[in-house]
Amino acid sequence: MSFIRAAIKEVVGLFVSDWVQSGVIVAIVAVGWIAVARFGAAAAILLVVLLAAQLVWFAQADGRRAKAKT
Amino acid sequence: MGQAVFVFSAAFLGSAVEATEALTIVLAVGLTRGWRAPLLGTVGAVVSLAVLVLIFGQLIVTQVPEWALKLLVGTLLLLFGLRWLHKAVLRSAGVEAKHDEERAYANTVAQLRSEAKQPTDWVGFVLALKGVFLEGLEVVFIVIGVGGTGRGLPVAVAGGVLAAAVVAAVGVVVRRPLARVPENTLKYGVGVILTSLGTFWAAEGMGARWPGDFVSIGALVIVYFVASRLAVTLIRRPAFA
Repeated sequence: MSFIRAAIKEVVGLFVSDWVQSGVIVAIVAVGWIAVARFGAAAAILLVVLLAAQLVWFAQADGRRAKAKT
Repeated sequence: MGQAVFVFSAAFLGSAVEATEALTIVLAVGLTRGWRAPLLGTVGAVVSLAVLVLIFGQLIVTQVPEWALKLLVGTLLLLFGLRWLHKAVLRSAGVEAKHDEERAYANTVAQLRSEAKQPTDWVGFVLALKGVFLEGLEVVFIVIGVGGTGRGLPVAVAGGVLAAAVVAAVGVVVRRPLARVPENTLKYGVGVILTSLGTFWAAEGMGARWPGDFVSIGALVIVYFVASRLAVTLIRRPAFA
């Protein structure tokens, strides 16, 4: 049982290292989906901008945390 | 032709990074405790992966509608690619240690030396099986993600298989971890490519059509690369804390 739990943890770990960041990415995809359905293909630009922005935001937050530790 | 080269390169580079990490584990076990157990573990992992791909590959391709497949694979590629890119940004900014194959090798050897050896070397077998299976799972996902939702799967498979074969052949010749493979740079590049492909597939699954079709991935690569460099610059600022 513990082996299966460890295997599932490893597989999930391929996609998730920070649950908050992963939740934000999935939320952005959901927002993008709604936006594309309502406003058409041009809304995909919103998806790209939000995804790029979250990359900068979370990297900065992690960087700040790491520097505060040292 | 351009699309095929892009898919092949992405699958080859991503798989080469993972194959290098798997090779380090197999070499550490083989050179410390003998080759029988790690080679059996490697074969076991490759067979398990092949079975998984055959079962789930068929199931997904035949049962899931194309738009849902694109959306699902795109979202998973985004999660996978952004995880690599996030780590690459932190490594580039100097706030996280770079991956070092020599150190990974030394850690595995130290772990193995502390384990008593028995007639059937289960420790070596399980370590190689687990290592190759998990790294192989990433290779499988990269290959399917890069080529699976389009018509590029054979090209992506060729890229993945060639990468594994090249890394294995080099490993057999040099018999030491491939520390000279620029893994951190490769992971940065592949992270940008996978994130771009994930965005492309996810948006297509939502019903959006990209201008210039596959060519627009080039623009996505530029956007994510610029964003990642911006993050590195912001973290490196002296006033940043």
